[in-house]
Amino acid sequence: MAAISDEHFSSLQILLKAPSKDAVRQLCADSFPSGAPESWRLAESTAGTLSVSAIEAKELIAALHTLSHHILFHNLTAPEQILVLFPKSFHPSLKNLITKIMLEHSPPWRNEALSNQISLPHLVEMDWRVDMKTASDSVSRMAVPTCLVHMKVEDSSCLRGSGALSSVTVELSKETLDTMLDGLGRIRDQLSVVAGK
Amino acid sequence: MLSIGQLVDMQWKLGMAVSSDTCRSLNSPHVSLLLKIADTSGQISQRSFEMTIAQFQNFYRQFKEMAAVLETV
Repeated sequence: MAAISDEHFSSLQILLKAPSKDAVRQLCADSFPSGAPESWRLAESTAGTLSVSAIEAKELIAALHTLSHHILFHNLTAPEQILVLFPKSFHPSLKNLITKIMLEHSPPWRNEALSNQISLPHLVEMDWRVDMKTASDSVSRMAVPTCLVHMKVEDSSCLRGSGALSSVTVELSKETLDTMLDGLGRIRDQLSVVAGK
Repeated sequence: MLSIGQLVDMQWKLGMAVSSDTCRSLNSPHVSLLLKIADTSGQISQRSFEMTIAQFQNFYRQFKEMAAVLETV
């Protein structure tokens, strides 16, 4: 990840040409996602909004992207922590506006980062049913309750967020279910211990 | 008996993500599960996946409901 530099801050001053505070807000939001600094489409629409060249717009987007990710990485939550990053000569009102916008966006950005972490595939959906097995080719009469659980898991071989899912269906006897509940109960106990720390 | 895969084992891990390239200080707990499933020939396959704490609470609740239903049949 690029470190913030003086060039980034001088690019940020282009925001003084923005038509409104909402335009600045929108630009901060649009510059955050990965891929934003590489997007010529974003650079061109920004160039149009600010009446600057596409190159200058691209540098501005890169600067906003670097700044927002720096704030996210170091979890800067107080205005003073962000204000101190700017050079002393930086336009004061713009500095305050950018700081305010960055702080506003921090919680959703952090949540996005948490949900996009590297991880095992996620469980997306789970359905279940309790059946009564009454007969089979080998046993003519019985009454055995059984659980059927169907889980949809993200397919790890595909891109995250591509929506590709794989299905797992399992059957559990009462004994298996009881053992499983026991295990899940232990996880819950551990969670309470961790939460208490 | 004709059946779907039988759940034979469940392994679990409660993990705490400490840090990542996007957030230096994450402190984000998550639960990983590994299910071992036996088919009718005895062949074991495994599936593993992860859940957030909220998802885990829901998962646990569903299994408790299943157990409650089993008590009544």
